[in-house]
Amino acid sequence: MQRNRELINFIPVMLLTLIGFVSVYAARSAQIDAGSLSYALLFAGLFLAAHLLLRLAAPYADPYLLPLTALLSALGIMMIYRIDPDLAAAQTTWLMVGLGVFALTMIFFRNYRRLDDYIYLLGILGVALLAVAIIFGHEINGARLWLKIGGLSIQPGEFSKVLITIFLAGYLNSKRELLATSTWRLFHIPMPPFKYLGPLVTMWGMSLALLLLMNDLGTSLLFFGIFLAMTYVATGRTAYPAIGGLLFMGGAWLAYNMKFTVQTRVSIWLDPWNDAVNKGYQIVQSLFAIGDGGLFGTGLGKGYLLFQNGEPIIPALHTDFIFSAIAEELGLAGATAVVVLFLIFCYRCFKIAIDSDDGFSKLLATGLAAGFVLQTFVIIGGVTKLIPLTGITLPFVSYGGSSIVANFASLALLLLISNRTGKERAK
Amino acid sequence: MMMNTSIRRLFIVSTILFASLIGTLAYWQVLEARGLEDNPQNTRKVFAQMRIDRGLILGKDRAELARNKKDGDLYYRVYPQSDLAPQLIGYSDATYGQVGLEHSWNNYLSGTADEVELAQMLDTITGKQKRGGDLKLTLDPKVQKTALAEMEKLGKQGSVVVLEVKTGAVVAMVSTPSYDPNQLAANWTQLNSDPGSPLLNRATQGLYTPGSSFKLITTAAALENGFNPDSKFKDDKSSIEIYGNTVNNWRDTPFGNHDLTEAFSQSINTTFAQIGDKLGQDKLIEYQEKFGLYEKPPFDLPPDEVMPSGRYENGKLASPDTHLDPVQNVWMAIGQENVQVTPLQMAMIGQAIANGGQEMRPYVVDSVSDYNGTILKQAKPEQLREPILPETAAEMTKMMIKTVNDGTGSGAASKQVQIAGKTGTAEVDGRGPNAWFVGFAPANDPKYAIAVVVSDADVHGHDSSPVARETLLAALGLTTGS
Repeated sequence: MQRNRELINFIPVMLLTLIGFVSVYAARSAQIDAGSLSYALLFAGLFLAAHLLLRLAAPYADPYLLPLTALLSALGIMMIYRIDPDLAAAQTTWLMVGLGVFALTMIFFRNYRRLDDYIYLLGILGVALLAVAIIFGHEINGARLWLKIGGLSIQPGEFSKVLITIFLAGYLNSKRELLATSTWRLFHIPMPPFKYLGPLVTMWGMSLALLLLMNDLGTSLLFFGIFLAMTYVATGRTAYPAIGGLLFMGGAWLAYNMKFTVQTRVSIWLDPWNDAVNKGYQIVQSLFAIGDGGLFGTGLGKGYLLFQNGEPIIPALHTDFIFSAIAEELGLAGATAVVVLFLIFCYRCFKIAIDSDDGFSKLLATGLAAGFVLQTFVIIGGVTKLIPLTGITLPFVSYGGSSIVANFASLALLLLISNRTGKERAK
Repeated sequence: MMMNTSIRRLFIVSTILFASLIGTLAYWQVLEARGLEDNPQNTRKVFAQMRIDRGLILGKDRAELARNKKDGDLYYRVYPQSDLAPQLIGYSDATYGQVGLEHSWNNYLSGTADEVELAQMLDTITGKQKRGGDLKLTLDPKVQKTALAEMEKLGKQGSVVVLEVKTGAVVAMVSTPSYDPNQLAANWTQLNSDPGSPLLNRATQGLYTPGSSFKLITTAAALENGFNPDSKFKDDKSSIEIYGNTVNNWRDTPFGNHDLTEAFSQSINTTFAQIGDKLGQDKLIEYQEKFGLYEKPPFDLPPDEVMPSGRYENGKLASPDTHLDPVQNVWMAIGQENVQVTPLQMAMIGQAIANGGQEMRPYVVDSVSDYNGTILKQAKPEQLREPILPETAAEMTKMMIKTVNDGTGSGAASKQVQIAGKTGTAEVDGRGPNAWFVGFAPANDPKYAIAVVVSDADVHGHDSSPVARETLLAALGLTTGS
């Protein structure tokens, strides 16, 4: 039943994908060849394989998430392909790896609740990955997020995000009753005992360390946001996000006063026009591109994204700034549609959390959902100058192996949770 | 379950966050889109134009006057005819902007005009590279070449405008000195500082004192207000005193007894001064307005590249209602008194007389077509005014024939075809006179009307007539080979 619905959902997705590839090909036929259309076929094949896998491994899983993921991935490959066909080939490879990890997760973690037994191990692994990035990573755009191993660039933070979410789901699930008690009040808000504020302060310290050591407000905000969302759901106490929010702002203020790089980022955010050819170049060009899109966009393949020599006008166009390219070529209509797709995606994730009937599953789904929401918000908000810019990927859309693999693993977990709920209900 | 309430709240917060993203997008893409586009640091607009495969500009014989050269993704405009008609065609350049037809017809050339967009709807859907519409001009490169060569032979500033009599179509529009629009970047400073102002389109923007060519208007007014070609006049001193001013004739020998036809063909100032005085200011102004002075001629060029003709005061067009002293009126009747006209306006006057009194709207863009050759927009000749009666036109034609055969315009006479015309030699302070020739050919069945003006001409004002003759012969396909 669920899988048939999923198959039907795939029909419009594949049609849109085909139309998209055909229009990119038509618009840029001078630069690219017709063999490129085979991407659409390969793409359809990959997701149909994933669909068949779900029929076998998770028949009760949510029927919307995979088609939504397919649509977002297709949009990503299409835009990357339009920017640089060679990168699209690499991204397709990553997509295959991602779907491979997806399949492995589906098969080996079918009983995902057993992860609860290893949360400390996973948590330590997550922190270790971040530490590795901080110590051995090299800076791109001032942020220390990347690790080079051989020819591969890896973003440990992407994997760390999933691991720490699993850890928090298990930890908070076991401690939530303690954390939810209140022994005193601050301005009439019931407050937990001081000793249980420990985890909060630890996470805060870690986020702050991330901010200062990685130079990255986005990643820091992402981790702390996931933590606050999960704690809030675990305890039902507004006090946690309230205190956490204040702590974070305090920390950010401290960082702003302590670190010149953070100050620079904020001043670029406040007035990029002042140094539009240098420090503000990226965001200013992003805004020019977005503005150029207008209501309906320039059309796929017809935006002014590349210089004569084929170099992108906006550095990191295929990764951090892919949304700017989408907004230029598909306009407000298309860009809004993409934001709405993410909202529907997150809605399905939250729904999986609500429908599931055990604390660990609920918290895990919530954490993963919050991760998607925050990551989408941080990067789109960044490239539109709503918040200070930070280098982070747009889930499923941006170029990047780590991001694709980590997000597909998250997707697999969400589908497993929904499969379990569906199976219980079917009994 | 308690957790579910919190999860729902989280979803609400997520919705608010995403809504704020959409709000931000709407701000940049709708409210601030214009501001971003106009931001001086934004070079997109310039490059956007350069990425359009602009339509061609073709001459009457379909010779390419403007086409594109593609380099990578960008198109650069090329003008294969170089300095043939740069002031009319204009240029379209990323750095220097757009002027001329390239500017006023940009919507069609760049394919954003409704007609072109509609025709290319299918291409838009299939995402095929759009191409702008092609402009086909009425301009005849052969005639234009002759006129330009004649002007360049003189080596003087000036202009030639040739109109098709029946339609008002522009066959030639020359402004000298000319320039090569392919070399803008190399010559920009020089083009702008050159005292000869090569960028100026003298045909539509050049304001010249009409001198005796203004007598076309005075004569038209006279013929319709009590005078006839045989009206008798007398000149015994070759000058008259009028309102304390002295009006002189161009030669010292008095013309003696003569009629209006001779006064016209010999351009006798003393007689026209008296006619002007008798007609009065109202009549003279009325006929100027009938021919279209005091109004910008409707034309295919950008409005700021077309000047109205009429009396100018302190560099500004004076209201036709401005009251003049009788002596000013007398000077006006012989084309002085700050009357300033453009060559286009004078060609329109010649065209109206040749066309039995019907003045046609001048136009140079014959049609716009898409790349398949399908015509998207076709110019239709339209009557603009009817300044004079057909009889008046016929009488004036006879006078203009006599002017060429046996009068001041003899320099324009040709054995091959009867040319009709009126000359003018307007005094200009500090330099040689403006030499005018306004006329048409063949006189008995007019096909082409012409106005020629040469600045700083030789004192007898003989420079313009041969230019007119050669150009008209070229237009009629009767090249002399001179």
